[in-house]
Order: sequence, then structure tokens, then C-alpha cells
Amino acid sequence: MSSHQKITDSPIDFAVEIINDVKNSKEEGVLKCVQCGMCTSTCPAARHSDYNPREIIERVLDGDETILKDDNIWNCFYCYTCHSVCPVGNSVCEVNQILKQIAIENGIGYEKLYEYMGFADSYFTAAIGAIPEIFFTDIDRDVPGWWDFRQHLDEIRQELELDPPLMPSEEVIDEVSKILTITGFKAKIEKIRASQEAENEERS
Amino acid sequence: MRDDLKVGVFLCECGGNIADIVDLDKVREELDVEFIGQFENLCSLNGRKIIRDAIFDHDLDRVVVAACSPISHEKTFQDYVKPLNPYLMDMANIREQCSWVHSDKEKATHKAITLINASIEKVKQSDAVDPIYCQTPDEVAVIGGGIAGMNAALSLAKQGTKVTLIEQSPSIGGHMAKIGKVFSPVKIAEECGMCLLNPILNELVWNENIEVLTNTKVIEAERRAGTYNLILEKSPRYVDTEKCIACGKCAEACEVEVPNDWNDNLSMRKAIYRPFGQSYPESYVIDMDNCTKCSNCVKVCTMRAIKLRGKPERIPLQVGSIVVATGHKLFDMEKRPEYGYTRYDDVITQSELGRITGVNGPTKGKLLKSNGEVPKRVVMIQCVGSRDEKPDGHKYCSKICCTVALKNANIIKHKYPDTDVLICYTDIRTPGMFEKYYKHTQENEVRFLRGRPGEVVKKGDNFIVRTEDTLKGEFVEIEADMVVLSTAMEPSDGTREIADILNVGVTEDGFIKESHPKIKPIATDVQGIFVCGTAHDPKDITDSIMQATAAAAKVNEYNYGGVEIEPFIAEIDTEKCIVCGECIERCKYKSMSVQNDQIYIDPMSCTGCGKCLNGCKQRAITVNGNIDEKIMSTINGVLSKKQEGERMILVFLDNIGYTAADNIGVNRLSYPESIHIIKVISVNRVRPRHIRYALENGADGVFIGEFPGDLMYDEVERKIQRAKDRIAEMGHNPERIAFSKVYIPYFSGLARKFNDFDEKIAELDSSK
Ligand SMILES: Cc1cc2nc3c(=O)[nH]c(=O)nc-3n(C[C@H](O)[C@H](O)[C@H](O)COP(=O)(O)OP(=O)(O)OC[C@H]3O[C@@H](n4cnc5c(N)ncnc54)[C@H](O)[C@@H]3O)c2cc1C
Ligand code: SF4
Ligand code: SF4
Ligand code: SF4
Ligand code: SF4
Repeated sequence: MSSHQKITDSPIDFAVEIINDVKNSKEEGVLKCVQCGMCTSTCPAARHSDYNPREIIERVLDGDETILKDDNIWNCFYCYTCHSVCPVGNSVCEVNQILKQIAIENGIGYEKLYEYMGFADSYFTAAIGAIPEIFFTDIDRDVPGWWDFRQHLDEIRQELELDPPLMPSEEVIDEVSKILTITGFKAKIEKIRASQEAENEERS
Repeated sequence: MRDDLKVGVFLCECGGNIADIVDLDKVREELDVEFIGQFENLCSLNGRKIIRDAIFDHDLDRVVVAACSPISHEKTFQDYVKPLNPYLMDMANIREQCSWVHSDKEKATHKAITLINASIEKVKQSDAVDPIYCQTPDEVAVIGGGIAGMNAALSLAKQGTKVTLIEQSPSIGGHMAKIGKVFSPVKIAEECGMCLLNPILNELVWNENIEVLTNTKVIEAERRAGTYNLILEKSPRYVDTEKCIACGKCAEACEVEVPNDWNDNLSMRKAIYRPFGQSYPESYVIDMDNCTKCSNCVKVCTMRAIKLRGKPERIPLQVGSIVVATGHKLFDMEKRPEYGYTRYDDVITQSELGRITGVNGPTKGKLLKSNGEVPKRVVMIQCVGSRDEKPDGHKYCSKICCTVALKNANIIKHKYPDTDVLICYTDIRTPGMFEKYYKHTQENEVRFLRGRPGEVVKKGDNFIVRTEDTLKGEFVEIEADMVVLSTAMEPSDGTREIADILNVGVTEDGFIKESHPKIKPIATDVQGIFVCGTAHDPKDITDSIMQATAAAAKVNEYNYGGVEIEPFIAEIDTEKCIVCGECIERCKYKSMSVQNDQIYIDPMSCTGCGKCLNGCKQRAITVNGNIDEKIMSTINGVLSKKQEGERMILVFLDNIGYTAADNIGVNRLSYPESIHIIKVISVNRVRPRHIRYALENGADGVFIGEFPGDLMYDEVERKIQRAKDRIAEMGHNPERIAFSKVYIPYFSGLARKFNDFDEKIAELDSSK
């Protein structure tokens, strides 16, 4: 493989765009990456897929914007391990979130988000982020006994002399829904849902 | 009177550094003085003649040099004005604080005129005074008996200086004694560390100019006119070093076994022990924390050297200078549990590996795991605790651990060619000749993997080291049966302690700070205290020795030259003083004490801040140098040049703030022309009445900066607040006074603050 860097190319701009994103809490962290791979060595996504957090930073520093279309970026699930081990105070986790956001703004990755729509819905129905039902079977397979535990949560809490879990009141739910609508979150969700459902229809 | 004094002004073009921006012809026209001349490079040797001739020809009483910053050339021009008294000269800084920070020629020229005028007014208030000379006693204390301290002591002693070498542990030698083999890049070999150390130790022991005090610490220090009065505490050894012949019968008889810290706790020793084979003094010592006082040892000692009772002894010591050589310690591995150090015996540090491979170590030099087998694969992890911004980590590179890892890998390969050694690194740092050693290590079949492991876990009999091979972009799990961690070097506890006791500055990492990292790498920020070895920063033995011998040279330089102190310090009128002692408590710099029933002021530590003045009901204290008057005249000198509609902000800074302000110019940043910086001996000398006077006579704003590390900081901050309150009561806007922190390195921040304050004042002016 070889590549050519033109005198007018400015690869660093991509990193600077990411650093300037409001989501970035690590100041110049991206630029300080030493490519040591400590993030990759602890990243669960890297262990189980082709995702490589160090490479994410490498490509960002190279100004390689094709990364936005790379399927692998969707394998990070925000465990923040890389964030806590990076010796130079960088956070691939945050960089990943920013990359995904840029991708979404460019209409990329709607199909990935679609799977998570249940989360978004729960903000409107309960004012909290609850695990969407479509994940239940997977979780029960990975965490044996989980479903049983969940079914009997109320009794278990009673036995431990704990109060029933505090859930947001109707009032709060209304308010949160209102905020989500005004800020454009709702419209965004609907757009993603509509585009995916249209695509599903086409396919079927 | 002072107004009739004949002042000469010397304008320097500084190559074009000044003349290109400041119109010096205009400056000459505008100033009315006895003599004014313009020259290309005043600081050159010609300058001396030019200035001296003008002083004679025009019979000048005072001189103003308008050139660069006094920080760079005050000493030069104080010398060039001879035969005039050096303190009858003042510098107007029209380079760093004018031509380098402003680009508008007209405004810069006007500002230069203002600054020079301020200097003219100020210098008229100056009187001829003599600097104070202090000759320091030439005895020296070297604190810390590692390789650095030993070399500093030896070098001084050979030059005829009396040295007391103070070591807190029972033996001198420091870390070098336990390293085992040491790297030697030029020979591309590992050499016996003890064999290199021993001749130095012997020479030191036999040198009559050196007194070695082991088990001894400095617990108090007081400085007075170039003399340090130290109080040492010598802990009892319980074994008389004069009588003990180090036969070891006592240790055989002792039944108490404790981990041997000299062997990094990898073996056991008795409660009565000798730290290591070549330790000095050659005598046993009792570790009283573990001794049961059973007296077994006392009974078997034929020399009657052991006494189970003893008390710490206090020893006063007076010296003229001090060398700090208190060394380093290693990063605490409890802070990085992911590497399993505290859980697994076969995860060790490079230091422990050094002990294991050392012939005088726990396994007599055999590389063995805790189960007694030779490891099949040793994985070394670099940069543990170094180059690490995580909590408790160190941002710096520990500098020696790459070479230490190479050394230990080679030692393993020589003896156990079948053991696979893999070094996991981020960068291999082997500058200079050490690069050859790196290549040599590769030829020795030591393997390298570029990646920083995230964790070490145990699986079955082996460890799994998880890392990414970053050159391949591949996550790998490496099986190993021994893991060696290259831990960071950090300042020893003794280094932190002594910094506190001696009041010397430390870096953000806790190492002893040099007074200038580039050109004064051995002096500290306290006169007469020098640093060497790993107490200063991570370094190897060679560099420690070089710095130690340099420290010895610096000490002698200091001893022979004496010290010259600016005379602007407090003085007591013994006629008026009733020795009530009010002032002693007030002085933040601990300069005052009672000696021979009189108040004594230590000229070395008095800063002339004037805090003591307030406390003295007898008005027996004066601070020399007409400082109040000088500040007032400088303010007048600036404000009298104010033009219609010009915004004028007065900025008061002491030496530190002034240096930061100079750095703005040196780095060619800019700030508004309204900023006029006035250098004061201590910010505390700027009084509320100065501020009030300035605001009532044309100043639009007053900005006061102080270094938070200054002992007077809190005091000044409170004082400014009070001044603001007063100003408000009098109907002025307190917003026109600003108080701010200044730091030498953060000059860009200071420039920003100047800009912000100028904008704020502009707003206040326009809303008026
Ligand atoms: C694992 C390892 C391997 C190394 N291998 C090599 C090598 O092969 N080659 C090489 O060149 N360098 C090597 N080094 C570096 C070398 O150890 C240091 O450069 C050297 O020991 C520094 O000497 P020092 O005198 O500055 O400090 P130290 O050796 O730490 O000595 C300081 C002394 O001061 C005493 N002390 C501390 N505080 C006080 C106090 N307040 N009052 C009185 N006494 C006090 C201590 O007890 C100690 O004796 C290695 C370092 C490590 C960690
Ligand atoms: S851990 Fe940090 S420095 Fe190392 S590769 Fe990952 S992001 Fe870069
Ligand atoms: S946050 Fe994402 S990139 Fe970071 S370790 Fe977790 S899964 Fe990997
Ligand atoms: S008196 Fe102390 S040092 Fe001596 S033998 Fe007993 S325990 Fe050991
Ligand atoms: S010397 Fe090598 S191992 Fe030590 S901190 Fe520096 S790079 Fe890391």
C-alpha cells in the first residue's frame, strides 16, 4: 500500500474538528496519542471483533474520513475502558461517539441506530433509558438467570426490605417528552424510524 | 535638591530591535535632561567607555539606560556606570516591554518616552548604597549517601573542603549497591556495580575531610547570612561501630526473621543484621521495630559491642552550603493492580530482577521463579507509571528503564539462552551510545513487541499478557511464566522531606527544582543549596556522578566568591527598638530573630517586603532604598506624560511577574500600549495610597500581579481587597483595580489578562 500526501493536504483538520466537538472532554487528547495500543489491549470490542480503538485514532490523525463509513465503528458500546486506561489522557470512547454523530449527520448508520429505537422510546414512555425488549433474549442467554431475576424483582426487593424502585412520575414523563420534542430529538427518531421502515418495506 | 540632579539618558538601538519600532530621534527631542545620546549596542564593551566618558564630561549624577530588560543587563550597566554607584542607574525597558510587544510606531514611541520619563523620575530618588557582601563558612553538608552524594562529598573533600555526609539508612551506597550489574553502553557489556562502587567507598571512608553520619537525618534547618544551622537526629544503632568486627555471631544467635528490604523483601534477614556485604560502616545494626530484646545477641558478642538501650541523639551542625542528593524510589505497584504485581509472586519489578540475578541476592544469582524453576518466557512491560497521565502516574519518561530492561534481558540471555525474553514497549529510548547497546541486545535474540499491555492475568500455570501488536494492528495474548515491570523512578520520601525542611522549590513531580533548567541545572532556588543525582530528576549513575562533581564545583565557587546582596532590606534602629519581638512573627520569610539581645535581620532572606514595618510601634524599622518615594515618583513619571484621550494602566510586578511580562515580549506576543509596567522589589510595597494617588491623578486602571508561591501572596491579596473597599468608599470604581496570579511560564496568560483588563477599563471609560 502506498499513498501520496499533497502539499495542500491538511490531515490534521479532521482531528481538530473532533477536538472542537462539544462532546470532547479530553482537550488535545487525540493529538497526544502515542499509538501504544493500550486501549486495544483492554477493549472488549477489539477482542471479539475487528474493531481497533488505536486504529480509530490513527485514522483520525491521518485525516482518513472513510472511517465514518466503516462498519467497525458501530462495535464500540461505550464501556469507557479505553477512556480509563489511556496513558496520555485520550478517550477513544468519546472520539467514537463523535465519529458516530458525524456519521449520523451525514445519513450514515441509520440501520445501526434502528436497533436501539427501543431506548429512545423509553424516554418518552418512562423518562428513563430502559433496556429495549428485543435485547431480553440475548441478555438472558449471556447472563443466565437474568430473566427470572427480572420477573421477580419486586418480590426480591420486598424480601430485602427495599422500597419499590422509584419511577419518574407522569408529570416528569410529560416534561421530559416535551424537552425531547422541543430539542428535536423526537423528529430525529421519527426520521430514522421512517427511513428504516421504508427500506424494510422495499426489501420485503 | 533631588530635582536639580543631572541625569544622563543613554538610548540603545539594540541592532534595530528597538530603533525599528521606536523613533529614537523623537524620543531625544521630547526629553529634557542634562545629556541624552543614542547608540547602536550599549551592552557591547564599547558601551562602558561611552557611558563613563559621558558621566565625566557632563558631570552626571544619575544615569538612565533605555534599552532591554534589567533582567538581562542590569548587572552589566551597574558595572558600566562606574565610578558612579551602581544603584544610581536605572533601566527603562523599551525592548521587551515596548518595541517587542507593540507594532504601532507612533504609540510605541510615545510609550518609550513615558517609560524613560518614569525611570528618570525614579532614579532621582535613588541614593548611593553599597551591596552587602556575605562570606559563607566553607563547611558543607551533603545530604544522602548514594552514588551522587558520595561523589559530591569526595570531590569537595579532595579540594580541601570539610564535608559532613548525612545518610538516613544504616549504610551509605544508595541504590547503586543493590542494582547488581550496571549497563555500560560504550563497552557494550554489563559490569559489576559493586566493583565500581567499592573504590569510591574506600576513598571516601579514608578521606579525613569527610565525616560520615549514618542513621542520621536533618530535622531542622535555619538560614542566617549565608550560614545554615542544621539540627541532625542520629538514631541509635545499638551496635558500637568502633567495637563491632562484623563477625556475624549476633545474627546467628538472633531468632527474629523479617523480610530483607535490601533484597526487595525476596529473602529474610535477622533483627540484627548487616545491610549488605560491603556496607559502611562495617558493623551490624539492630532493627528495633522488630527486636524482641531477648538479648541473645548481646550474650554471644565477644566484642561487647551491643547495647539494647539507646536514644536518638541531636547534633547541631553549622555549614555554609548544602548539597541535596537524597535520590529516588520506585513507583508503587499497588497503584497498577491490572498488572497483578501484588497478587502473583512471579510478576516482579526490574529492581527485584536485579536482586534475583545478583550473585549476592536471594537466589545467589540464579534466575528462578517462586517455584524454583527457570522461567521459559519472561515478558517485560515498559513505562509502568511513567509517561502515564492516569491518576498517580507520572507524565515524564523515567529515562533509564529502557536501558535497564535491555541490561536485564541481556543478563538473562547470557545465562539462560533458552529463556525467551520479550520486551513490550511504546518507544525504546536509547539516546546517544545506548543505541549500540539496543542493537547488541537485538543480536542477543531478545525480542521486542511494540505495544503497551493493558493487563496481566493468570490462566492455569501461566500468565496471559494482553496487548496489541501495534505494528501488525493485532490484539495478542502472550503466554509467559515471568513478568517484569519497568517501574517509574520518582522522588524518594527523603527528597520530599528535605525539600520541605530546607524550603527549596520542587517541580510538579516532586523532584528538587533547579534554579534554571537550562543554564543553572545545579543550583536550587535557595542560595547556597545545590542538587545532584536522582533527587533532581531521573538519571543514570554516570549522569548522577557528573552532576555531583558539578555540584562540588558550584559549592566551591560559592565559597570563594561570597555572595553579594542588594542592600534594599530592612534595618533596625537599635536606639528605638525595645526588642518586643512583634516584627519576628510578622516576617513571612523568617528573616528576623533575637541575637545578643537585639533584633537581627538576615540579609540573605529579607526581601524588603516591608511587612515588619506595620508591626513596629516604635517605628524602629526602615527598609533601605527610598522605596515608597521611588514608587511614587515612577507613578508621577508615567502619568505626567499622559496625552489627551490616552488610556493609562499601571501594572505593578515584582521580579517574577516582571520576568513573565518580559517573556511576552521575548515570544513576540502583544498587549495594548496602555499597559505600563512598574517593577517593584516586592508587591507588598505598593501601598493603598500609591493606588489611590495613581487613580486620582490620571491612571485609568491599576493591575497588581503576584506569584502564588510567594510567601506574601495571601497577605497582598487581602491588602488589595481592602484597598478596593476603601476606593469604593471614596466614590471610585473598585473595578479599576485588578489583582491577579502570575507565573513565569504562563506569559501568554498574562498577555491575555492585560488585554482583558484593558478592554474592561475601556468599557468603564466609555460608559462614564
Ligand atoms: C532497577 C534499576 C536498575 C538500574 N540500573 C542502572 C544501571 O545499570 N546503570 C546506571 O547507570 N544506572 C542504573 N540505575 C539508576 C541508578 O540506580 C541511579 O542513577 C543512582 O542510584 C542514583 O543515585 P543517587 O545517589 O542519586 O540516589 P540513591 O541511590 O537513591 O541514593 C540516595 C541516598 O540518599 C539517602 N536519603 C534519602 N533521603 C534522605 C534524607 N532525607 N536524609 C538523609 N539521607 C537520605 C538514601 O537512603 C540513599 O542512600 C538503575 C535504577 C533502577 C531503578
Ligand atoms: S491508549 Fe491512548 S495513547 Fe495509546 S493508542 Fe489508545 S488512544 Fe492512543
Ligand atoms: S469504549 Fe468502545 S473503544 Fe473503548 S474500550 Fe469500550 S468498546 Fe472499546
Ligand atoms: S536482642 Fe534483638 S537483635 Fe538481639 S538477638 Fe534478640 S531479637 Fe535479635
Ligand atoms: S525510559 Fe523507556 S521504559 Fe522508561 S519511561 Fe522512558 S520510554 Fe518508558
